[in-house]
Amino acid sequence: MSALTAPARIGRFGLYAFLIATALFFAIPLLVVISTSLKSLDEIRDFSIFVPPSSPHFSAWWKAWHAACTGLDCGGVHVGFWNSVRILIPSVTLSVLAGALNGYALSHWKVRGADLILLALLLGAFIPYQVILYPLVKITSTIGIYSSLPGIIAVHILFGLPVMTLLFRNFYAGLPDQLVKAARVDGAGFWRIFASVMLPLSVNILIVATILQTTGIWNDYLLGLIFAGRENQPMTVQLNAIATTSTGEIEYNVNMAAALLTALPPLLLYFASGRFFVRGITAGAVKG
Amino acid sequence: MRIRNLAAKAVLSPTMLVMLVCFYGCALWTAYLSVTRSALLPNYQFAGLFQYVRLFATPRWNVAWSNMFLFGTLDILGTLGLGVLLAVLIDRQVRFEAAFRTIFLYPLSLSFIVTGLTWQWVLSPTIGVQNFVRGLGWSGFAFDWITRPDRAIYTLVFAGVWHQSGLIMAIMLAGLRGIDREIWRATRIEAIPTWRVYVSIVLPMLRPLLVTCVVLIAIAVVKSYDLVVAMTGGGPGYASDLPGKFVVDFAFERANIGQASAAAVVMLGSVLTVLAPYLYLELSRRDR
Amino acid sequence: MIGVVVRGLSKSFGPVQALRGIDLVVEPGDFVVLLGPSGCGKSTLLNAIAGLDDIDAGSVQIGGVDVTQREPSERGIAMVFQSYALYPTMTVRRNLSFGLRVRSVPKTEIERRVAWVSELLQIGGLLDRKPSQLSGGQRQRVAIGRALVQQAKVFLLDEPLSNLDAKLRTEMRIELKRLHQSLGATIIYVTHDQIEAMTLATRIAVMRDGRIEQYAAPDVLYERPATLFVAGFVGSPGMNFLSGSLGRASTPVARIETDTIPLDSYPFRAAFAEGGEVVLGIRPEHVSLADPGARGSVIEAETLFIEPMGADTLVWFQYGSQRISARLSPQRARGLSGKVRLALDIDQISLFDPTTERRL
Repeated sequence: MSALTAPARIGRFGLYAFLIATALFFAIPLLVVISTSLKSLDEIRDFSIFVPPSSPHFSAWWKAWHAACTGLDCGGVHVGFWNSVRILIPSVTLSVLAGALNGYALSHWKVRGADLILLALLLGAFIPYQVILYPLVKITSTIGIYSSLPGIIAVHILFGLPVMTLLFRNFYAGLPDQLVKAARVDGAGFWRIFASVMLPLSVNILIVATILQTTGIWNDYLLGLIFAGRENQPMTVQLNAIATTSTGEIEYNVNMAAALLTALPPLLLYFASGRFFVRGITAGAVKG
Repeated sequence: MRIRNLAAKAVLSPTMLVMLVCFYGCALWTAYLSVTRSALLPNYQFAGLFQYVRLFATPRWNVAWSNMFLFGTLDILGTLGLGVLLAVLIDRQVRFEAAFRTIFLYPLSLSFIVTGLTWQWVLSPTIGVQNFVRGLGWSGFAFDWITRPDRAIYTLVFAGVWHQSGLIMAIMLAGLRGIDREIWRATRIEAIPTWRVYVSIVLPMLRPLLVTCVVLIAIAVVKSYDLVVAMTGGGPGYASDLPGKFVVDFAFERANIGQASAAAVVMLGSVLTVLAPYLYLELSRRDR
Repeated sequence: MIGVVVRGLSKSFGPVQALRGIDLVVEPGDFVVLLGPSGCGKSTLLNAIAGLDDIDAGSVQIGGVDVTQREPSERGIAMVFQSYALYPTMTVRRNLSFGLRVRSVPKTEIERRVAWVSELLQIGGLLDRKPSQLSGGQRQRVAIGRALVQQAKVFLLDEPLSNLDAKLRTEMRIELKRLHQSLGATIIYVTHDQIEAMTLATRIAVMRDGRIEQYAAPDVLYERPATLFVAGFVGSPGMNFLSGSLGRASTPVARIETDTIPLDSYPFRAAFAEGGEVVLGIRPEHVSLADPGARGSVIEAETLFIEPMGADTLVWFQYGSQRISARLSPQRARGLSGKVRLALDIDQISLFDPTTERRL
């Protein structure tokens, strides 16, 4: 079996042609947004967005960051950016930690009803937010954390619990239980084993979990809209408000720059993390 | 013996409590609200199926409900079709596989808000595809689906497929790569053409994975909120509304808790209808 | 019946040379076993003959036709894989017939062949089951059936018995031998188990590091191994190897430890080099307790330990700085201790040059 036969070569060519065409389908929308954000409004008006900018400049980006308007506020998306950061860091840290501890507890310790707990978590992972939204609003306002930073953080942790727990549980269950048994024979307890045995082995899964949560929480819209409060609106909420404000002429370049600024952190994380990202989304999707 | 596992149980109890109260308790609360006469304020007087009858007599809900099936079917077929096709093509050992995969997967790192806005711009008659093609000289070209009540819902399919095919591709590619290589060799000895191997042997072997993919996309369709908000705002009017948006709008903007709860319960019912047979099959498969 | 001729076959995986210029002639109706430890290249050679892997140099002829450039499906071969490679979502019947249906073989012909194979391999009752519902041995027979149904002339089997337990393996060995005899097919079989090789093969190719060390009938391999490696690999318990040097005392002799072993009846292949190093190989069954007055090739050794093996007992002795084992009957081995005189059957020894490892 040496060189390809003629029909095989045509097949191969067709394969690549389709892949490249599909790659263009995926890439062009983003490229269009990038190129339009670098144009002036005149250029957008006069030429199609599929045409590259003649003299690209970042003024729309500057305006989006510092001066874009949502209704009457004209502070730019940097407000939303920092809000998102303030929401992100505690939420990710705490939900990953909670998931790790829960997953560890469920995988290596005899807990009665563990299977039931796992089933409950699995079902919980599928329940749409809308089903429990109103009652959650009532609960959080009763506790006094509705429409506040602690509120949105608590909600993110809550919704992260099922997926994170299942993710870590599946991972820890795959580790040999002789490790834990040996440590217990040596006299180590629950916390000691977690810190000295489990955590050192968990680097990869921690990275995967962090990426999954970071992407999910940064990109969240609905929960932020409802639970964060006016002063803590995340970037996605601000972005949508900017883009759907229809007073006067629509500044497409500013809107697109705002969209790119919002997309940039998880996108950069994606490019940097490669296979961890893939593991994260497939694990998050398949959920054990 | 119980004391030994005390730490594990202590760790798990807050999670279990929170799951019980916030997920299941709240879901039951919503379900109860859906059988009361609640409107602006909760009214815990039992009212049978009053809310549901009213719901299905509401034009906007019926549009949203049928939209869900329309959008859902096309989204599933499109995302699954493209995702499986891309996975199969990449499984054929292409060069630059890493580059292709990076391009196909990046939309998953974006918020649905960014995806929605991006496709809103690309499909906008004023600045998007229609404008571009007309600029090329074809002045009669029309692609204003996004502004047409009878076509707006279909535009969501473009964005949905664009955003999620990469996930299906990643999942199916992992599955394809897990196929025993000796089966491929056996087919070479028996002169079975490559396409036939995929259709008759490999993809049937991956049927459970395909079902998982369908379930994932279906549930995402039921939950859809961010995408609709950013892309069409549910419009024009409510022509591209979906149940996910209906619930939130009626709970907060229209302030009709009863209707919102009934709609939410219908959403939950849809999810369970998709999920129950799937979970039953999965769990019985594992027991074997 | 069809033969297979391999000439100058070479293949490397990156920097690793898996096959080094292999020449092999498989006569029609032969049952040739490729035997060797892991990494010796036996599976690579099989895959190259099948056409599943590209080769760097050399040619493969099947039935006198050069098939080197052809796809596996065009070579007239059938293959049975180590993991059976049955199509999991199809019933046994469909597994057997799928390849034929794809090739548009007429339905009646397909049914005839499936019936013939089911009868031959006793799998008629399994036709409507799926592979997951079959035992290991049943799957194995279905895999063989799938190969038979294609009515190829040459059958390639890649360690087909290694996934079975010991008892099943013995049964299937007999099955395979029976099939070979009744079908008269040409078979090339890969295994690392020398007992399988010895019982099944008409000829065995012992391989090491991408080369064929010896290609001969089982008894030749056993009695006159061509290299040190073959001598040690074939036969269990393994051959004894004693180091010494060659000498001359009116006739050629081997000087081992303090003894002089006469070699006058040994059929030397190469020239006799006095003073050269030599390794004397002798199988444990050719070492016995010497009769009290015996002369000639008798040595004295110290009993070390005794290993009862059931029908025989293997007794280990310390001989100077070396060890030697003897296969004795349990009665003669009982209570053996201390210094013992052992007789070596000179007609059964093999001499090797320790540097070239070749037979002298």
